[in-house]
Amino acid sequence: MTPLLKVTNLAVEFSTYGGIVCAVRGVDFELEAGKTLAIVGESGCGKSVTVQSMMGLTPMPPGRLVSGSARLRGEEILGQRRVQGKEVRGAEIGMIFQDPMTSLNPTMTIGDQIAEPLQVHRGFSRREAFTEAVKLLELTKIPEAQKRAKQYPFEFSGGMLQRAMIAMAIACKPSILIADEPTTALDVTIQAQILDLLQDIQQEIGMAIILITHDLGVVARVADEVAVMYAGKVVEFGKVDDIFYRSAHPYTVGLRAAMPVNDPSRNHVLSPIEGSPPDLFSPPAGCGYCSRCPEAMEICATEAPPTKALNRGHTSSCWLQQDGAPHPESLFFNEERL
Amino acid sequence: MAIAAFITKRLIQGVFTVWFIATATFFAMHNVPGDPLLNERAMTEAIRANVEAKYGLDKPLGTQYLIYLSNLTRGDFGISFTQENRQVNDIIREHFPVSAILGVLAVLFAAVGGILWGALTALYRNRIPDYLIMFFVILGISVPSFVIAALGQLVIVNMNSALGITLFPVAGWGTLGHMLVPSMVLGLGTMAYLTRLMRSSMLEIVSSDYVRTAKAKGLPPARIFAKHQLRNAILPVITVLGPAIAAITTGGFVVELVFAIPGLGRYFVQAVQQLDYTVIMGTTVFYGAFLVFMVIFVDVLYGLIDPRVRMS
Amino acid sequence: MPNGHAYDFSPLRRTEISQSQSRPSLSYWQDAWIRLKANTRALISLYLLIGLLIFTLFGPLLWNIDPAAQDLDQISRPPGEDRRALIVPEYSPWTGSASDLEVGSGQGLRLIGEATTQSIRLGWDPTDTVTGYRVYRNIYPIGQERAYGIPRAEFFDSRIVNFEDRLDLKEGIYYFTVVPMKGKEQLLDLTETLAVEVKRVTTVREANQKGLIGLTEELGVGDFIDLAFHPLGTDYLGRDMLARLMAGARVSLFIGIGAPLFFVTFGILFGATAGFLGGKTDQVMMRFADFIVALPFLLFMILFKIAFGIGPGESGIGPMLVALVVLMWPATARLVRGQILQIREQGYISASQLLGGKTLYLILRHMLPNTLGVVLVTLTFAIPSAIFTEAFLSFIGMGVAPPTPSWGSMSNEGIKTMLTTPHELIFPAVLISVTVLAFNLLGDGLRDALDARMRNQE
Repeated sequence: MTPLLKVTNLAVEFSTYGGIVCAVRGVDFELEAGKTLAIVGESGCGKSVTVQSMMGLTPMPPGRLVSGSARLRGEEILGQRRVQGKEVRGAEIGMIFQDPMTSLNPTMTIGDQIAEPLQVHRGFSRREAFTEAVKLLELTKIPEAQKRAKQYPFEFSGGMLQRAMIAMAIACKPSILIADEPTTALDVTIQAQILDLLQDIQQEIGMAIILITHDLGVVARVADEVAVMYAGKVVEFGKVDDIFYRSAHPYTVGLRAAMPVNDPSRNHVLSPIEGSPPDLFSPPAGCGYCSRCPEAMEICATEAPPTKALNRGHTSSCWLQQDGAPHPESLFFNEERL
Repeated sequence: MAIAAFITKRLIQGVFTVWFIATATFFAMHNVPGDPLLNERAMTEAIRANVEAKYGLDKPLGTQYLIYLSNLTRGDFGISFTQENRQVNDIIREHFPVSAILGVLAVLFAAVGGILWGALTALYRNRIPDYLIMFFVILGISVPSFVIAALGQLVIVNMNSALGITLFPVAGWGTLGHMLVPSMVLGLGTMAYLTRLMRSSMLEIVSSDYVRTAKAKGLPPARIFAKHQLRNAILPVITVLGPAIAAITTGGFVVELVFAIPGLGRYFVQAVQQLDYTVIMGTTVFYGAFLVFMVIFVDVLYGLIDPRVRMS
Repeated sequence: MPNGHAYDFSPLRRTEISQSQSRPSLSYWQDAWIRLKANTRALISLYLLIGLLIFTLFGPLLWNIDPAAQDLDQISRPPGEDRRALIVPEYSPWTGSASDLEVGSGQGLRLIGEATTQSIRLGWDPTDTVTGYRVYRNIYPIGQERAYGIPRAEFFDSRIVNFEDRLDLKEGIYYFTVVPMKGKEQLLDLTETLAVEVKRVTTVREANQKGLIGLTEELGVGDFIDLAFHPLGTDYLGRDMLARLMAGARVSLFIGIGAPLFFVTFGILFGATAGFLGGKTDQVMMRFADFIVALPFLLFMILFKIAFGIGPGESGIGPMLVALVVLMWPATARLVRGQILQIREQGYISASQLLGGKTLYLILRHMLPNTLGVVLVTLTFAIPSAIFTEAFLSFIGMGVAPPTPSWGSMSNEGIKTMLTTPHELIFPAVLISVTVLAFNLLGDGLRDALDARMRNQE
């Protein structure tokens, strides 16, 4: 069975005044209908660039698509505006962004902005689209939707704006919703509400979600599958349990150890990952994580690790997974070992 | 409600500013070194007393000031010093319409051109049209208005003699042909400035989050341009329209001088050069009030367009 | 081993290289300078402006000519023209006697002797039916519209048939027209026009007075002599353009750079005080600034100029400087206040306060340096607008008083003769434009180099 979305070997670079940045260096992942995929990684690892270039939102130039393909139900969407007669952006794939405060047009009412994709993709009249927009606002649990739809973004709070963004992204019932750090700019209390809302809507209209985040707590809460990205590559991909309990990459282990645990009895010590990610102006020849990796070997510095399938749907790009390599204790991290 | 209070507040501020301008003008004129009547021929004591009485110069300064203010509130600017028996009001009434037509044409030319060229440069960023337009913009910003006026006149002269017919008159006023070149010359500097502003404003918006959102919604580029970019990009252009009108009004002094257009600006400059006190006072207060209220008008207009200002 | 490769799985020996960053970190100003250097236009502008300053400050040392001195032999001369003059005898009065004129020979309007810059002598045939003659002179050919030029003389006697013109003669072609008069009526059919080519001449005495003849040189009538050298020509009063441009540059740049320096300094102090004190004081101070902004700028500049009327012998530079400073400071003040308000909320200010930083220290160490970038950009953009203001005011005759040259007043004088001697307008106008252009491009470059927000966009 073909997955809903299959991305292979996606690579994107940017030319800047300091040189060429290889922001994404060959990313692969798959997404199945109705499931939630989380892409995790620290700032600048290429999470947002991956999805934005997939959607054609990366300005080119300075950006450039080096290689790769992204197939929606087997059809290429990179560089295509329409697939099977449907618009990719807005109709097939909806998207919400990190900062709802700046992501909405300040001089247009919320209702009009939500109604826009309906007018464009569904051919609704202005009035019909606006009525539908009010319904969508109700669906995203905005009180007094009728009145709110006539207001402008500056009259909304951050959490409300993100709800409106969600309403806008799901207006045409897309098969995939991409949420690019949807809760980062919001209060912690609002974060949970937004995540719940996303899950409720997913249940209701049966769409898949790609959730980009650097918060492992969010991942644990909502994800079915997880792609861990580092320095422009997916270093580990697997089910959420694989990632959390059978971590097969030292970076995942490092992330896990740097995450706070809500259990006072465990006397947990946060251990940050020392150092900083490699300079992507001149990407390292070997593994990108090599300079920070506690288990680094000679081979890691010179040759990029191949991706190895571990068991069903769980892959890792690490030399430690190769035959003959030492097998450190810390890998296959699990709760009991702490 | 809020907007009414806003307008009222601005109007009160405007009246206060105009009062200050009137007062400053009055005392500036009375501070001029020398005797305003000394140049007059055959000034015997009796004649002098008569003239002083005619212009109210025999009264103490404070009284003169009060009379001046009360005349102003009635819209009476007094009688010209050098052209006796000519009311300043008549001068303004006769010459201001000419300046106003010239100014309105120039503002239109500058605003429409600025928005159009600015949007074009932003859309063709770092490509030939952008470089070409920006080259002329930087020239337009750097060349003083009188040089542009002189060049404009030179071009007309050469064009007329090359064609053998008077396509555009070199100077004077009356027909559309008289108006076209001077108003373009007058608007050119402001147009260059607005183009630059529009370009940077467009560029900021092109890379803004909400345009990215609009793209992610799958809207066609034309709709994104019209509904999301243009409207937001024009807002900063509108905010500077007040100063732009002021610049064009005062720039009109030079253009009217060079093209021999019988507008109030040229009259004002002549009055200043001839030290025609009442005309200077009258036109200064008139111009001052005009500019102050134009700025307020533009501010209010902006408030009506931008919802963020309208509501707060 | 799989794939037949022998992988080295021994622990990595950490070296310095693997840990070091590939790019050195740069300070704010270092980074800005690198960016500015990469901006060719800004860099060229910078060099151009330095060159202009050298031209202004050191030029007069090399070209030591009094900008006010008139060379009456060379009036409105474009650069690079032939400046040879023939030496002729001293002028001797001319009676225009009948023998000189060969009256009755029927040759019509004619030139008597040679036409030189010393004098032009004309004669014509008497007509009995007329009551007098009018003589006109024009520098353009007489066309269909019968523009005869300026009237030079009118005789109320039909027997006076000669005229000597000595007024303000330059070499070139003059068109003289004699119109016979009958009472007040001009007899246009009897009108005659003569084109006269005038040669430039001088006398030994004049040349000696002007120091054109060297000590050892022996020159007499009939020899050619070079008149004084003016590399950029002369203006309508025969003053050296180059010397005037340099003197004008000093005035224009003094006002253009001096005024912004003063008002930006004042604006920083005002804005920083308002921003730092905050509350009521801030409100009152900013109200005042708003009020100044609302005043129509150029009108007030003109009022200022009239009120502080310029007495004889004064240049009017002082009042203009004061007026510019008084009216232009609020923009900087607003900007600095906004910056200070923003910076005041920043964490590092609180941190510095916690560490015991005094108010003055906070302002000097943290707040002002962080506003410096914006202020520098404002200053660069304020200079062209000040230069423009000076030029504008001087152009409408409200700027520096003649004879003090400034680029604006020189343009004002030059525009009157734009069609005949364009160089008088072109030189000052080009200097203004190039200076303003350079400051604008430099300002653009500085803004791009210093503006942190622009940096993130790339």
